[in-house]
Amino acid sequence: MKRSMAVTAVAALALTACGNGDGSGAEGETLSVWIMEGTNPDAGEFFEDVKADFKKETGATLDVEFVQWADAHDKFVTSIAGNTTPDVAETGTTWTAEFADAGALAPLDEQVQDAGLKDDLVEGLAEAGTLDDTLYGMPWYAGVRSVVYRTDIFEELGLEPPTTWDELLETGLALESAKPELTPFAVPGDSANLAYPFIWGNGAELATQDGGKWTSGLDSPEAREGLQFYTDLALTHGLSSAGATTWNEKDVLDNFVKGNLPMATMGSWAMPTILEQNPDLEGKIGAFPIPGPDGGYSPSFLGGSHLSVFEASKKQELAWEFVEMMTTGDKAAEWAEQTNYFPGQASLLEKSTGSEDPMVAPFATQMVEAGAAVPVAPGWGAVEAKKTLPAMIQSILAGDKSVDEATADAAAEIEELLNGK
Amino acid sequence: MRPWLLLAPSLVVLAVLLLWPLARVALISFQDYGLREIVSGRTNYIGAANYLEVFRDPQLWRVVLPNTLGFAVAAVAGTVLLGTLVALLLTTLNRLWRTVVSSAIMVAWAMPAVTGTYVWVWIFDADNGLVGQLLQGLGILDEPHNWFTDRWSFYAVVLVNVIHHGFPFVAITVLAGLLGVSKEMLEAATVDGAGSIRRFFSITFPTLRPVFAVVVILSTIWDFKVFAQIYLMPGGSGSNRSVFNLGVWSYVESFAQNRYGFGSAIAVLLTVLLLIISVVYVRTLFKEEK
Repeated sequence: MKRSMAVTAVAALALTACGNGDGSGAEGETLSVWIMEGTNPDAGEFFEDVKADFKKETGATLDVEFVQWADAHDKFVTSIAGNTTPDVAETGTTWTAEFADAGALAPLDEQVQDAGLKDDLVEGLAEAGTLDDTLYGMPWYAGVRSVVYRTDIFEELGLEPPTTWDELLETGLALESAKPELTPFAVPGDSANLAYPFIWGNGAELATQDGGKWTSGLDSPEAREGLQFYTDLALTHGLSSAGATTWNEKDVLDNFVKGNLPMATMGSWAMPTILEQNPDLEGKIGAFPIPGPDGGYSPSFLGGSHLSVFEASKKQELAWEFVEMMTTGDKAAEWAEQTNYFPGQASLLEKSTGSEDPMVAPFATQMVEAGAAVPVAPGWGAVEAKKTLPAMIQSILAGDKSVDEATADAAAEIEELLNGK
Repeated sequence: MRPWLLLAPSLVVLAVLLLWPLARVALISFQDYGLREIVSGRTNYIGAANYLEVFRDPQLWRVVLPNTLGFAVAAVAGTVLLGTLVALLLTTLNRLWRTVVSSAIMVAWAMPAVTGTYVWVWIFDADNGLVGQLLQGLGILDEPHNWFTDRWSFYAVVLVNVIHHGFPFVAITVLAGLLGVSKEMLEAATVDGAGSIRRFFSITFPTLRPVFAVVVILSTIWDFKVFAQIYLMPGGSGSNRSVFNLGVWSYVESFAQNRYGFGSAIAVLLTVLLLIISVVYVRTLFKEEK
């Protein structure tokens, strides 16, 4: 039994060795790629095109596997442990530093330099893909969250998109009294991304580094005031629902699609998803940037994805060809157009931010005027994975802790995780 | 020598599939083992530091252990009780109804834990759930209530889910045992004037003791290491810290925090705890039989 296993293993090694023996041309080779799915619009058709084009260009076959965002982190880790990583994968911007730090990703600086792309990457995305001055994640697309609302309901009630926090509250109360069956503004307990604007908007930071030591600003008076306002929308003013206490972003989207929410914070990519799932809402949805406390905008989390090449891949050159094809030129522009994401190539981004499409423009404003990143620290992935902020928000919404207690606990946990034990 | 030779193939399979992973978990639990170690394959022994951290963590004593133990006791009791009652009901039915009822409970058994959990989450949904709307309709609840934020109501939903999923196995196993109980003895007892409760505890239960031993031990093991039914509930994957049990805590520390050493230490603790409970239980059982 053991012996036969050993024989198979040797045979497999020999085979892979043969497969990579000749370096000339990629004819007959297969490149394995993981692409995320879940909140993104259906990408199946787009990748059928990509496969055909890639075959035409390089002669190699693409093996695309779609992975659910929710399971992806575990799947990456187990594949790294089992040495079964794909050649290329889409990595969330907050994961790239973590996997690079572990030594699982290949550096891309040389290729980017040779392709003359170095100065044409969107800055925030490139920064998130960089660890110790080395680029491990090629910026592919960016997304930002703003408030999506039902234009038909606002029109019917004569409401305008709010421009300050007080107006946001007033608009919510007006919706509540006119349409009591709806949830005017969901405050979901299981989402940090949707709470960030109320922390940043009031001038607080999640964490700042000073002399190598991280300090969290969550227990500052500004953060506490912002979170008090955010959670009071649910607790004092009843603009949220009991169920929302345990909602995540997917639940917000589902409820908006069902027509239960007249406005909610969502990503730009949610727009095509909403219309795909509920075509009746065509022409009835719009968006506005998240208002600041006294005008202006509250910064919103600028997330996105990189394409990363795995260190263990034996087809580094072919992998880069794929990465370059996806992140630049026609394919990148087409992807951004279809998904309502923003491209990761600066020259392409300029075109989208100048767009006057009502489905794109508010998000572009949000991204350019008020997009913000979470702290770039290898430990921030652990903060996200530990659900420090969702635990904080949920405990406030459930009435288990006051804002002061919950923020103090969360700040202590963030400092512990970022500074290492 | 020959018996070992014949056993060898299955022993090798067991060693590869069970013993080796078990030994790996034990080894990793003594290391500071993260993503970096996974990629490089290096070892990094730190002695018993992971175990010390587990035992010093107030979360273990205040949340994780009470949740794990309390839930297991309630779930085992509930599963065995309901399963036995259903088995007793089945013996009184004629062939047609027995087939109908046992097929119905088989469906509950065959349902994957993940699907079952989502159905229960749906039933208890705060805004549109069946239970909430029923209670509001009856005037017991004034406004929607989120059942998943409170530790007790969260585990009440888990309990219903786990019992619903676990009782069919008990019912079918106990039914098989019940069919083997001597009818003559039961009839003789009836003639002597024993009621149904007396007959159950004096004749049926002693005959079924080994069957109960099996279902209780298996249910204990299953209910101790319950994972999906908690992890998939709203807040169960980390945003509600008061509902962690040993399994979920181990998973979150290992796979979300990349602290595989610490997570393994929790997993080893869970295994040892189960071993102790099973040994004590089997011992007392066989002592009583003597």
